[in-house]
Parts: sequence; structure tokens; C-alpha cells
Amino acid sequence: MAAARRSLNSRRDGWFMVSPITAFLIVVLAIPLVVDCIYAVSRVRFETLRAPEFIGFGNFAKVLFDHEFWGAMLFSLRFGLLVTAAEVLLALVLAIFLAPLLAKRSWLIAPLMLPMMVAPALVGLMYRLALHEFVGPIPYYFVLLTGDSPSFLGPDNVFWTLVTIETLQWTPFALLILYTAYQSIATDVREAAELDGPSTWQMLRYIELPLMRPTILAVGFIRFIDSFRVFDNVFTLTGSGAGGNTMSISIYIYEVFFRRNDIGVAVAASIVLLAVSFGLLTLLLRWSERQA
Amino acid sequence: MKSIVQALCSAAALLALSGAAARAEVTVLGWPGGPEEVSLRASAEVYNKTAAADDQVKLIFFNRDNFFDKLQTDLAAGTTEFDANLTATYAVGRYAPFMDPLELPAAAHETFSDGVLKTMQFEGKQYGIPTDLSMHFMYYRSDLIAKLLSDPAWQAKYSEIAKAKLGKDLKPKDPDQWNWDDWAATALFFTKSVNSDSPTRYGTVLQMKNLLFNMMVWHSTARSFGGNWTDASGKVIVDGPGYRAGLQLYKMLYDAGTSPKDSLSYEYAEANAAFGSGQAATMLQWNAALGDLDSKEKTPAVAGKIGTVAPPAGPDGRFTHIHGLGLGINASSKHKAGALKFLNWLATPDAMLGYARSGGSPALQSALVDKIAKERPDLVKIGTFAGQYGFVMNGATSAKTLPIYELQAKQFTGYWAGTQSLDDALKAVSAGMTDLLKK
Amino acid sequence: MKRAIAALRWMVLIVAIMVLNAPVIITLITSFKSDAEIVSNASLLVEAPTLVNYVHIFAMSDRFDILHFLWNSVVEASLGTAFALALSLPAAYGIVRFRVGLHWLFPQVVNQRAIPLIIFAIPLYLMYQATGLLDTKLGMAIIVCWVNLPLVLVLLVNAVRDVPIEMDEAARIDGASSWTIVRLVILPLVRQTIASAAVLAFVYAWNEFLFSLILTTRAAVPVTVGASFFFSASGGGVQWGVAAAVMMLSTLPPLLLGLFAYRHIGRSMTSGAIKG
Repeated sequence: MAAARRSLNSRRDGWFMVSPITAFLIVVLAIPLVVDCIYAVSRVRFETLRAPEFIGFGNFAKVLFDHEFWGAMLFSLRFGLLVTAAEVLLALVLAIFLAPLLAKRSWLIAPLMLPMMVAPALVGLMYRLALHEFVGPIPYYFVLLTGDSPSFLGPDNVFWTLVTIETLQWTPFALLILYTAYQSIATDVREAAELDGPSTWQMLRYIELPLMRPTILAVGFIRFIDSFRVFDNVFTLTGSGAGGNTMSISIYIYEVFFRRNDIGVAVAASIVLLAVSFGLLTLLLRWSERQA
Repeated sequence: MKSIVQALCSAAALLALSGAAARAEVTVLGWPGGPEEVSLRASAEVYNKTAAADDQVKLIFFNRDNFFDKLQTDLAAGTTEFDANLTATYAVGRYAPFMDPLELPAAAHETFSDGVLKTMQFEGKQYGIPTDLSMHFMYYRSDLIAKLLSDPAWQAKYSEIAKAKLGKDLKPKDPDQWNWDDWAATALFFTKSVNSDSPTRYGTVLQMKNLLFNMMVWHSTARSFGGNWTDASGKVIVDGPGYRAGLQLYKMLYDAGTSPKDSLSYEYAEANAAFGSGQAATMLQWNAALGDLDSKEKTPAVAGKIGTVAPPAGPDGRFTHIHGLGLGINASSKHKAGALKFLNWLATPDAMLGYARSGGSPALQSALVDKIAKERPDLVKIGTFAGQYGFVMNGATSAKTLPIYELQAKQFTGYWAGTQSLDDALKAVSAGMTDLLKK
Repeated sequence: MKRAIAALRWMVLIVAIMVLNAPVIITLITSFKSDAEIVSNASLLVEAPTLVNYVHIFAMSDRFDILHFLWNSVVEASLGTAFALALSLPAAYGIVRFRVGLHWLFPQVVNQRAIPLIIFAIPLYLMYQATGLLDTKLGMAIIVCWVNLPLVLVLLVNAVRDVPIEMDEAARIDGASSWTIVRLVILPLVRQTIASAAVLAFVYAWNEFLFSLILTTRAAVPVTVGASFFFSASGGGVQWGVAAAVMMLSTLPPLLLGLFAYRHIGRSMTSGAIKG
């Protein structure tokens, strides 16, 4: 009886705890959400922001049959997967290889972390300068060393250039967290394993990596979401690209929203995206709970 | 549906924390960054010396990259943050629903010709005072062209390259006599990978980024080959020989390597940096670039060695895209009377002469141009070119102008990049434009 | 052998630092070149270093007041970060200990990181216009708080999960309420995570661009947007030197924060407070 009352009480406490954030989200988002839901089923342009015209689910049909939408989804998916894989691998290698240095001199982490402090929109602009054939140092040194510089932003290379740029900016994020996880493997676990006299490789393969697995997955997940919805740096560097070859899903939605002035369609596209990601996330949460 | 959204908005209003304080001055949103901004500042300063306290003009600016997205949001939401704002020939139709038509003062007709005033009109109504006129020049390196016109060895090589690459018998010509073939041959001649004796790495620099402004630069080519957006009846005619020829010319020049490898990501700034480094012999570019490129402090490699002429001629003649920038009244403004006072003043001959003296490029009546011809010889050129070669595509002042430019930019850059065929690009643009213009 | 590996480690470290920071280094160097040198010398060795680009920025203060933009950014990012932490800590406790909202609130918040928030721009604009929050620092702080909630909440949920439940049970037996437990037991135990989350949230808030552009006009313009006023692409003169200088100025505060705050993050790492 007492236990039941306590759990009732604590249930109420739980609601108290989550109420501020819930209230905040309701106050900030409820009205926009309702307006967006209306927009999603309406024909609405900037001229008719306050007088949308109901058209049913036409916007969703338009999105689902728009090959540009699927092209952008594919771009984002490919970009997100490649960037995530590259970042996690690179960060893992660096974290483990540099761990002895960083453990002794923790200030060395600071310069490694700096790239993630820079606004992605500015990073895109920085590369407009850095990659320019005549004023950019990168092509300058390519010419100096190899006699020629590749076309970084030409149709053949632009995708890989963008992947590289994103990877270079966000590997530090993965590095930081993976290094943390690597450092926090308890000393007694290591010492116990040492007793069997494993090689460095065996240690890594059978002890350390399995212990870091949840962190690796978490980092990969965060970085995948972030790079999937990439916007600022691509937008300022190449826009949607020649023939739309660098149009991520966020750029697609931005352009439909502002440039095509088809607000209902842009909102509908986001709702499709939201539905997909909500489904995936719920599955993932269930799965990770079963794991834990 | 309307009432729901309105109810939501008023519900939000009930949560009001503080009302926006009314401003005691007139706020004008100008075009940022260039000589337009410098001139507007100078003009506002002059105006404020004599204006009443309530009519003082304060200027604000946004960034350029997202200017139209931001302006569109502000205007559509009925902002009161500014009273007068920028408008442009290609956007006048889009912003007309959110702006008040103007009654032009008599003085405006002394300052501007009817043709220039028209660049700010939509469906017969005047929406802005035209402050600046933009068009394209063919920039070239006068030192290199002079040598080409006088050096027999270069001339022979030039003809040889023209024959080999273009299949035509050509001799170097003065840039003012160029047709597009002459330009192409010159571009090929000054390209290192084609002609190892070339003093420059590239013969030209093309701006091919997927960006609406780049379509404007390219349009002069299409127009001179006979291309247009629509015919007199309003039927979309982009899928025709004019557009085809113009698009193929750029593709040929890009594929032949006459323009930097990354040209598909080039816009105004990148192109100027390439030309300014002295490594490109020609460039089709906005008139506004001349000031910086000809400055010894900014680009010493080319300053004093630049010639400018109207773009080359095509079968249909010689053309340059023109558009006006101007200022009009925000329909939601709370200071319309004050804003009108400033705009009416700005449209007077004296105010516009002052505007021109501080660097802006207004298109003025010839009587006025004569008064400042000594200080601003380029204004004479701008006036002449606008009169002789200026064009606006049919339908390019409609409410759909910006989306049409966006559509063309996307499809045509796809063709230039080699990711889609010319036929597909033209078909997609044709269908998209018909759809946009129908609604 | 050991020394060779140590040397290799240093080399890898230095190369990593150089390559990862390449855009910043290049921009920094370019900001010390004159306009003329930028188009004539693309190398990383500046022939005639000059501060003219920085002087130019401050000379334009009547036009674009960089200090005003910086101040706006400081206020908006700090307030937004504080809001996000204040809302997330109790929520994290409620989610972890009472499992309230684990299946609706938590995924809902985390999901907001997955969609382009720009679709909320117009409704938020209209709402802000009606409530007078448009172009105010408070309005922007609310936005950056909202943008940061997913990250902050995830970090705090993980941290609270790692606090042994015996700690708050002990306090509860002493009669402490949940609020007291959060304040007196949880807060001190997760303060390293709070420090890390604060740094990350501040940086993300500082770097927010699109909403700031749409929702501010002059009074509350933050520096990322203000910086973009200084260089104009697509139609106007771009001065690469000034652009580089203004990028450096607007990046400097988060860079410095990163340089000094690494200790916090570093310490929270070594203490193992954010275990995976």
C-alpha cells in the first residue's frame, strides 16, 4: 500500500519534472505546428500566408511523385552514411592512436576541437576562398607540387569535396566523445585482461572496442542525423549545385519554400521526413532498450 | 481556413509581451554591399540635413545572398520594420502585392526617361523610383588584344586555332566588332591548354553556378541568337534555336577548357578574382565590376589594362540584359507619407545627380548625363548601351520571374555539367515555365 | 621502436591539427593580406602583412556595428544555453527516474534534430510579430534554446542515467522532494556534463544562421548574420580580405571558448561522467 502510494507520488513528481520543457515546447511550437498542419493540406504562397486554400492531400502527392524530392533524399542518405562512416573511423583511429599523447597533455585536445566551433555557414564561405583556383592556397599548392590542380567543385568531384569538408569539420566531435569513452574504460578491466597477455591488437579487438560499442553507435547516430540534414556549408559553397547535384533534403525544402514559393509542399515534405525519422527513432530506442 | 489562421495569430497576440515601439523616423531598406549602398548613404545624409525631425531617413541593409528570401518573408508578413524597400525589375511583379503604387512627381520625368521608369512598373503601375541600372559589359584585356591585333605570329596562330576548333576562317577583330564566334576564337587562343604560347591560363571566365543571376549574364547570348522567353502571344518559346545556340556555345567553351575548371561553381566574386589575377583574357560581367577591377590598389595585375564593350553580336543583333534597382513603398508601413517625401526628393534631378556623383549608376535623361559626363564617363556608356542594346525578356517582369530564373539556372547548369542532355533541359524548362506562367 | 612510435604520434597529431583546421588557418592568413596581394599571391606566406581589413571593419561601424552584433550573439547564445539547461535537467531526471515521457517526449525532442526546422520559420515569424518578439534578443534566445534542446537533453539523460539510484534513494528516505534531489544531489554529480553541454550548446547557438537571418532586422542581429552583411556575393563586390577578417572576428569567441573550456570537457572525460 505504502509502496503503491509512493509510486503514485513519484509518478506525479515525474510529471512535474518534465512539465517545464513540455510547457515550453507547447508555448513555442503549438501554434506553429497547427499552422504548419494547415499549410500542409493547403495551397499557400507568400501572398496568401494568412489565407491558405484547402486542397486536401495534394501536397503530399506532389512530394511523393517529385523525383527531385527523392533525388535529394538519396543525396542526403549517401552523404550522411559516407560522412558518418568516415568520421567515426577517422576519429576512432585518431582517438586510440593519440590517446597516450592526449592523456599526458590534455591541452592538446583544444586545437583538435576547434573546427567544430566554427559556424558551418562560414566554413562554406571559407572554402569558397580556399578552393578558388587563383586566390585559394589549396589549388596554389597543388599546382606548385603537382603542376596542376584538380577541379574540386566540378561535377565529378564536388560530392567528394563536400564529404571531405563535412568530415573534416565534424571528426573532432566524434573524436572527443570516442576518446572519452576510450579513456573511461576502467583500469581494472584493462589490468584483468593484461593477465592473459594479449597483444595490443587482441586487446583492442576483444576488450576495448566491444566496451566502446554503445558510444560508437551513439556517435554514429548523432553524426548521421546531423549530416543527413546538412544545409549551411553546402548552401553557402555550391547552393543546390549544377543541375541540382548537391541538393540535400534540407536544401530541397528551403528552395521549395522560398524560391518556388510552394510553402504547402515544403511543409508536406518535412512532415514526410518527420514521419520517417520518428518511426526509425522509435524503433531504435526500443532496440537499444532491449540491448540494455 | 483563413479564419483559423487569423484566430491563431490573434491568440498569439494575446500572449504579447510588448508591442513594437513606433519609430520616429523613416526606415529605408537598401541594396547592400556595392556602390548602390554608398550612394544611398550619401543621399540620405544630404536629405537629412533639411528634413524635419519626423522625416529623418535611417537606412538598413541585409546580406545579399538571402536578401530576396528575407525581404519576401518580411513583406508577406506585413512588417513595419521598414517603410521603403528595394525592388528590382525582375522582382517588381513578385513584390507588387505587398507594395503601394506610386504617384510620380513631375520632376521624375525630368530625371528619367519613360523607358527607364518602365523598369519599375508592373501591370501599368509604378512601384519604384529607379536608382540604378545594371547591365553587362564584355571585359577584355586591352594590352593582350592590342598585341593580338598587331602581331602577325599571333594572328596566324589565332586563325589556325579558329579553323581547327571552330571550323571557321577567322581573323582577330576589335572587340567592339566581335560576334560570338570571334569571342570564342579569342577565348580559345588565350587558353594555355589550347595554345601553349598564351600569356594567360584561360581565355575567358564563365559564371556557371546554379544561380539566377548567372542566367541573366548568359541571357544576352541567347537573346542575340534570337531566343526569348515567350512570343508576343505569351507562348513559351525557350525550346528553340536561340536558346540552343547560346547554351551550346557555353558548353563548348567550358568543355574546351577556356574557362576555369570550377566555373560550374563560379559567380560574380569568383569570376572577378579570376579576371583580376590576370589569368583570364575576357569576361562577360556586370558593369558594376569595373570600378574594383580597374583599381590599382585592388587588382594591380589588370588595372589600367581593361577594355569594356557591349556583349558580342549574334544573328539577331547585339544585346545586353538590363534591369533596374529602385526603391518603393512598403504597403504595411506606418510612415508612408515620410517615405514618399524621401522618394519624391530622390527622384528630382539634383538628388539623382548627387547620387551618381557618389558612385551609383542611375540611368538619367541625356541632358543630365551631360552634366556629369566628365566625372562619370561610364554613365554615358551605360546610357548608350541601355538605349541601343538593352532588352528585357518577354515576361521577365511577371510575378514568376524569379522562379523562372531559378528553373533555368538549375536545368541549364545540369546540361553544362553534362548530367543531362540539351533536349531534356530545354523540355523541362519549357514545361516548367508554361506551368509557372499559366498560374 | 618506442621512440619511433612516439615521434609518429606527434606527427599524426600535428598533421591532424593542421588539416582539420585548414579553413580557419587559411582564412586567418588571408585576413592579413591586402586586396592586391590576395589576387597576386595565393600562398600561405604573406609578403606584406597588414591590418587594413580589420581597420576597415571598425571604420564601418556606423554602417555595420560589429561590436553590437557580437554583443547580441553573446546575450542570445548565453540566455538560450541557460534556458536549455534549466529546462532539460529536471526533464532528464523525470525521464530517467520516472520514465515519464520516455516514449513521447524524448523521441519528440530528439526528432527535432532530424528535420529542417526552417518549415517553422513562417509560423514563428507570424507568432513573433504578433507577440512583439520579432527582432528581440529574448526572441532569439528562445529560438536557440529550442534548437539546442535535443542535444542538451540527450547529454543530460545519459548523465543522469549514470548516477547510481542509491544516491537519490538515500536522499528520499531523508524526506527530500524530487526538486531538492535534482538541485542538491543530481546537479553536483552531473556538473561536468552540464559544463560540456553548455559549451556545445553555446557554440551551436552562436553559429545559428537561418532563423537569425529571418527573425532579426537590426536590434537583435547576431554576428553570424551581421558578418554576412560585410561581404556580398552574387552581384556586388566581394572583398575577400574584409570577408576573411570579419569571419575571423565572428569565429573568435567560440574558438576562444573552445580553447579555454577544453579543461571542463577534458575533466568530465577523465572522470568518466559521460560514459557511453
